[in-house]
Amino acid sequence: MVGVLIDMKVRVLRNSLRGKAGVSFAIGGVVGLIAAIVGVVLIAVHDGGLTVGTDIASAIFAVWMLGWLFGPIFTGGGDETLRPENFALLPVRPHQLAVGLLGASLVGVSPTVTLLLFSGLLLVAIPAGLLTVVVAMVAVAAQLALVVLLSRVVIAGVGAVLGSRRGKDLGVLLGALVGLAYLPARAVLEQLGPIIVGQSSPALTATLRALPSGWGPNAVAAAAAHDWLPAVGWLLALGVLDALLVVAWSRLLVRRLTSGGSTAGPRRSGRRDARAPRRSLLPDSPLGAVIGKELTLWRRDAQRRTMMLVSIIIGLLLPAFSLTQSVGPSGMAFAALWIVVFATMQVSNLYGMDGSAVWQTLTTPGAARADVRGRQWAWALIVGPMAVLAALVLPGVTGATSSYPWVLALVPALLGAGAGTVLLASVESPYAMPSGKGRNPLGASNSGGGLAHIMRRMLLVLVQLAVAVPVLILLVLGSTGVLPAATWIATPFGVACGIGAAWWWGRRAYRRLELRGPEVLAVLRVSV
Amino acid sequence: MDVREIDHSERLTEHVRPGADTALTIDGFSKRFGETVAVDALSLTVPSGSFFGLVGPNGAGKTTALSMAVGLLRPDAGVARIFGHDVWADPVRAKEVVGVLPDGLSMPERLTGRELLTYTARLRGLDRGTAGERADELLRVLELTDADGTMVIDFSAGMRKKIGLATALIHAPKLLVLDEPFEAVDPVSASTIRTILQRFVAAGGSVVLSSHVMALVEALCDRVAVITHGQVVAAGTLSEVRGAGSLEDAFVHLVGGRVGGGEGLSWLAS
Repeated sequence: MVGVLIDMKVRVLRNSLRGKAGVSFAIGGVVGLIAAIVGVVLIAVHDGGLTVGTDIASAIFAVWMLGWLFGPIFTGGGDETLRPENFALLPVRPHQLAVGLLGASLVGVSPTVTLLLFSGLLLVAIPAGLLTVVVAMVAVAAQLALVVLLSRVVIAGVGAVLGSRRGKDLGVLLGALVGLAYLPARAVLEQLGPIIVGQSSPALTATLRALPSGWGPNAVAAAAAHDWLPAVGWLLALGVLDALLVVAWSRLLVRRLTSGGSTAGPRRSGRRDARAPRRSLLPDSPLGAVIGKELTLWRRDAQRRTMMLVSIIIGLLLPAFSLTQSVGPSGMAFAALWIVVFATMQVSNLYGMDGSAVWQTLTTPGAARADVRGRQWAWALIVGPMAVLAALVLPGVTGATSSYPWVLALVPALLGAGAGTVLLASVESPYAMPSGKGRNPLGASNSGGGLAHIMRRMLLVLVQLAVAVPVLILLVLGSTGVLPAATWIATPFGVACGIGAAWWWGRRAYRRLELRGPEVLAVLRVSV
Repeated sequence: MDVREIDHSERLTEHVRPGADTALTIDGFSKRFGETVAVDALSLTVPSGSFFGLVGPNGAGKTTALSMAVGLLRPDAGVARIFGHDVWADPVRAKEVVGVLPDGLSMPERLTGRELLTYTARLRGLDRGTAGERADELLRVLELTDADGTMVIDFSAGMRKKIGLATALIHAPKLLVLDEPFEAVDPVSASTIRTILQRFVAAGGSVVLSSHVMALVEALCDRVAVITHGQVVAAGTLSEVRGAGSLEDAFVHLVGGRVGGGEGLSWLAS
């Protein structure tokens, strides 16, 4: 079972890694490799001896465990290369399936990189003799199984709670987060590093070692001190935890396989709005119809809801995070800008989110324009109020009232630019996403392509920010006193820039859809 | 969008060119995907008012040909005309008079059946009132009224076909292009769909449908084309194509098929 599943996973990965996907896969691998090597060096190269080595290892293991835990939540479900559904009819027990899937989960870039990093513990153990190295090897294996299992169980648990399995789209977010988390991470390291190396905070090191991620290093430390009972004890504890996680995962698998296809949202819209058409403020036109449909889908589709929610949360969290940093409290005043930028990045594949439903637009004469404009309006109607609210409230609340001119000028410019780029990107480079009830056979939904998507989103944000540049120039002119009136012109100018960008890029988008509609459909009808 | 304001029946007659007595003409369609030739210089004529069946084995190119005929897939070569309007050169006129039911494509899945129908109608330029009335009537006739609070994603295969047919009908087209309309549909729903289509043809509409269920095509269609390997191997009235035997015999003979399954699998239930 395990062997067959591993073989299957390898084949699926190999088949899905041709061409562009392969390149980004390779780049991802190189980045992971560098991270692992840095980790190994941190663990093995210092003057602190074995105790400090195991302390550093337990700290780094804790960080990676957190990565395995939270990464997949942000990336929307993690590795779904092999879907449990494909094996639902096999006559095997759930825990056998869980073990098999665990084996398959160990194949891939992330587990390999993690294994490499964890092997730093072996280097720490070598000076202490052969038996310690053996303990370290067992510890590394159990530790790797722990992070993989923990991550799968958390995904399965969260998935069961949310009732949805999202595809790779949010994976891009992780890339952005990793990039943006660099500053806080460095600050944390700068503060914690000396504490761990200098053994100056027993409470911190004790906590790190008490976490399951520290159990392996504990075993190695005990073995090196010839305390064999605790060494074996820590290893046993790891093994028991792994076994418990396998049991938990198999429970969750049973639930997933027997509870039917999740529709990721309220199953019924309710009878009350079924018959009586609600009064609507939207115009009675194709444009109004599209806006209405889009607003309904934003409300009803769990995937879309999550995207918006994540944008808001990250938009608020990032500047809040910077509160603790040197940036100062003014960061929070600009949260509105972050919300708009993330809502743009998240929603760059509007047509892909609807599966192949774009055929309807293509068979309806003149519908491309209404469709693009309607989707622009719907996006702006959802993001706009939140961003404007944040722009009006947060600078006042955080006492950074001097940032009002900046926020009020930049938010409309970025909002309009976002409404333009979102549609332009959705039409120019759509990609198929797992849709419907997600029951496609062996679709490689999560292998490769991630980096290409990150780059595409970065480009998107750059284009969006370009619209803000003239507004920024005006604001700088105003604040430096070169042209004091510029501060007050900036807001209407920002509004004008936003409207212009939304209009112009929207026009490009619907013309493109009119011209290349069949090609968009051809990309989206591929099942993933 | 000015065309949308015109009354529907007027618009239809206005756009039917004088002398355009064929509902659909396909002339020299070709399409290849990489090395695979899906459709190879395929030509077809569907006279106005006919009930046209396109039959062929799996992978013969039926879906590819129909997708190209309605503007969903760009042909490598060839022209399609709907009532004289070139689908690719004059798409707006052509698309106004055709209703399409594709096979295996998604719809806005998280709309209810009623929402999907009113949305489709309004996208076509109908006003809210008309859209609502037509949606009501279609849901009733297609016996989907019980499900009008259910989202499309929760529909069964048969319900999906019926709601798809309803979206194809809601703007009162002159030509229906239906890809596998009876696939996975239960007998009761199938008979509902059949009745609707027969009434549509009796009222002057034209239907092109693809299928690989010979008995059904034989019972419904007055004209048939058999395609295999992307080419038309026989076309004409039903009696011309099937000759003295049944359509199924003619089909197996035409596509050069050999009925398999007679050998091997000796280990099965021995």
